[in-house]
Amino acid sequence: MRRVAMVGAGMTRFGEHFDLGIKDLVPMAVSEAVASVDKGFDRADVEAAWFGELVSTDGFAAGILADSCGLLDIPVSRLENACATGNDAVRHGVLGVASGFYDVVLVVGADKVRETSARSTFWDWMGMTRDMAWDFPLGLVAPANFALHVSRYLHESPATREHLAMVAVKNHRHGVTNPKAQLRFEITVEQVLDAPMVVEPFGLYDCTPQSDGAAATLLVAEDVVDRYTDHPVWVRGVGLGLDRVMHAHKPDMTTFPATVKAAKQAYAMAGVGPDDIDVAECHDCFTGIELMNYEDLGFCGRFDAYKLIEAGETSVGGRLPVNPSGGLKAKGHPPGATGIAQCTELFEQLRGDACNQVEGAQVALAHNIGGPTAVSAVTILSNQPA
Amino acid sequence: MIEAIGTYLPPWGATTARDAGPDEDAVTLAVAAGVQVTGNPDRTPVRRVVLVSRDLPLLEGGNAAALLAGLGLAADVEVREQLGGAPAALEAVADAASGTLVIGSDVVGRAGAAAALCSTRGGEITTTGRAQRSLPVVTRDASGAVTDYADPRLLRELGVAVSLERAGVTEKVAAVAGLGSKEAAALGDDVVPTLPTLGASAPLFAVAALVERHDRGAVLAVEQATVAVAALGEGAIDVARDEPPAQPIPTGSHTPGPDISISLAAYERAFDDKLRLEAARCTTCGTLAYPRRHRCLGCGSEAPSDTVPLPRDAEIYTTATIHVPVPGLTTPYTVVLAELGDSGVRLLVHLTGTPPGTVAIGDRGRLVFRRVAMRSGVPDYGYGFLPTLQVPSEDEEVAA
Repeated sequence: MRRVAMVGAGMTRFGEHFDLGIKDLVPMAVSEAVASVDKGFDRADVEAAWFGELVSTDGFAAGILADSCGLLDIPVSRLENACATGNDAVRHGVLGVASGFYDVVLVVGADKVRETSARSTFWDWMGMTRDMAWDFPLGLVAPANFALHVSRYLHESPATREHLAMVAVKNHRHGVTNPKAQLRFEITVEQVLDAPMVVEPFGLYDCTPQSDGAAATLLVAEDVVDRYTDHPVWVRGVGLGLDRVMHAHKPDMTTFPATVKAAKQAYAMAGVGPDDIDVAECHDCFTGIELMNYEDLGFCGRFDAYKLIEAGETSVGGRLPVNPSGGLKAKGHPPGATGIAQCTELFEQLRGDACNQVEGAQVALAHNIGGPTAVSAVTILSNQPA
Repeated sequence: MIEAIGTYLPPWGATTARDAGPDEDAVTLAVAAGVQVTGNPDRTPVRRVVLVSRDLPLLEGGNAAALLAGLGLAADVEVREQLGGAPAALEAVADAASGTLVIGSDVVGRAGAAAALCSTRGGEITTTGRAQRSLPVVTRDASGAVTDYADPRLLRELGVAVSLERAGVTEKVAAVAGLGSKEAAALGDDVVPTLPTLGASAPLFAVAALVERHDRGAVLAVEQATVAVAALGEGAIDVARDEPPAQPIPTGSHTPGPDISISLAAYERAFDDKLRLEAARCTTCGTLAYPRRHRCLGCGSEAPSDTVPLPRDAEIYTTATIHVPVPGLTTPYTVVLAELGDSGVRLLVHLTGTPPGTVAIGDRGRLVFRRVAMRSGVPDYGYGFLPTLQVPSEDEEVAA
């Protein structure tokens, strides 16, 4: 198996792009990834591409990538794996290069959540992730899906709604300096706690916004990396974990087994452990989920997550900064793009040119959890080859 | 003869005039009343169900299977859906063959339902008179459009009074179903029972009330200018009531939205398990699967499974209350993941019978048959979590 390097990464600003379609956002992200390659990049070098998109916008997804980016002569596949789509698309790109099948591949992710009226989006997206007979009629909207976990988590752990609020405050603070972020303003714990309730225990500021956006990255084999850069970021580990689909079949809802499995695979492949991670981008679609992620990713012991957020250890400047980009919470969450945008942020962190730079970062972790909390993808990146 | 009567009133509205909850209709109300008398092995088995109502949900058919599933009766039990009010229900009871469960179910106006199990034992009931006349002071068509001639005196004098005469009712009666309490009092002897409903369930509520106060005699049922009268004789009748205290119906906020879609293929596949609350049990390792699945959760066996009923007592494992507007729904609403008895099975359901957001993890209750959603015109039945009523203990009452 060959080592795989990330030599370029880029993304559009995340936000409500009413003025841009998916056919605009995708080529914009790809061009930014191409432009980020130190020694220049000829897109004719791309031998295959994967396109991560949750919900089709304007039709046939793979064709939209090929057509809008001028990549009509290579294989392009669409990949959908719920909110883990982004990091799973990276994983597929890695498989293609590590196997020796391709030397240079492109991995793109995008979604346009705000392309349909908020009114129909609710049910369209719910229909995609719920059993039609059993869960769909309950109106189990996305925040409720996660709130069922966090309610139980708050019941069993010492964490409180204040700790959830601290996650929002931290990620908003990080997002202020990120020009790609959707929500660039600071908030206070009081504002979070006083905000209108969405789904208990989540108020408005506990939730990710609805976003449009695209992100792209270029993966190459170690054999050809010198052509593109002297400062590659190595994809050291990838993992994908699954879990029972229906909430009724998850015995312990205070943890995400999908994350635990994905992380275990990625750590083993990378030859590192949680203690080696210098910076992480994890899936904070709702504040409480970030706390649960700390535990499932091994950043702290069971039910100890509140201590990390309380002590500021996961803020930039702390021991293990999490979501320096602002995370899904402040940067935004176009699901297909999210995981690849996390890798874009970490690509910059590991090359020392991130907007909220974590000094001396060498090993970084990106994480998604999605579906009805039944799928997780983890990617471990490093500026050290091994 | 009437062997037993079961009643149900929704917990919403005023004590004397209940409103059906948003997850209730004529079928769920009928089930709630019916289960008070079915499921008891000492009772006469039910061979036929007569559902009398003016508020049947599926006018093109489909109510009967849901009713039988909710009542826990076999799918081949005969069901007669009868459009009618108080006189129709009274006569259905009086005419019933042994093994008939007559249920009167009322949604519009005062909501409630009552069921009478008729057999060869219990209290005798015999029709003694009837008059069927047309004086449609209030009309309602199939689309639900109502017109009201708005002349109560005309109805009283040209309608009820004339019909009573034609039906041969010359003396005061023991109970009056279908009229307001003032008009009922004028026709009754002593103090006629005050009834919670005015439609098909009313005569059954009347019988239950007479039984409970050891009174027997003539029961009069009225619907506009149609009347029926029956004599209730001696003989024991068991009465079981599910009539929780009334509370104001929560005022949610409805968000307009598109029709919530349904897959009728998925609906039909899930129908029996969902409405009968039955799980599949693996014949190899005994693991329960709910909903039914091709491959066993426990051992991976793909052999055919048994069907077993699930316990209905439940405890909340986790819960979430949705406040954000959801198109097509009324918010807030609460979902709970309920753990069913000691079966190890959990089920995600709506909270029912209590305002949203008023339960917590660890609360206990039971699953009750409800309409989970309306989806593109189809009532999607299943179960809701009804928390156990918090009755203050004697100590607390003393302290208070």
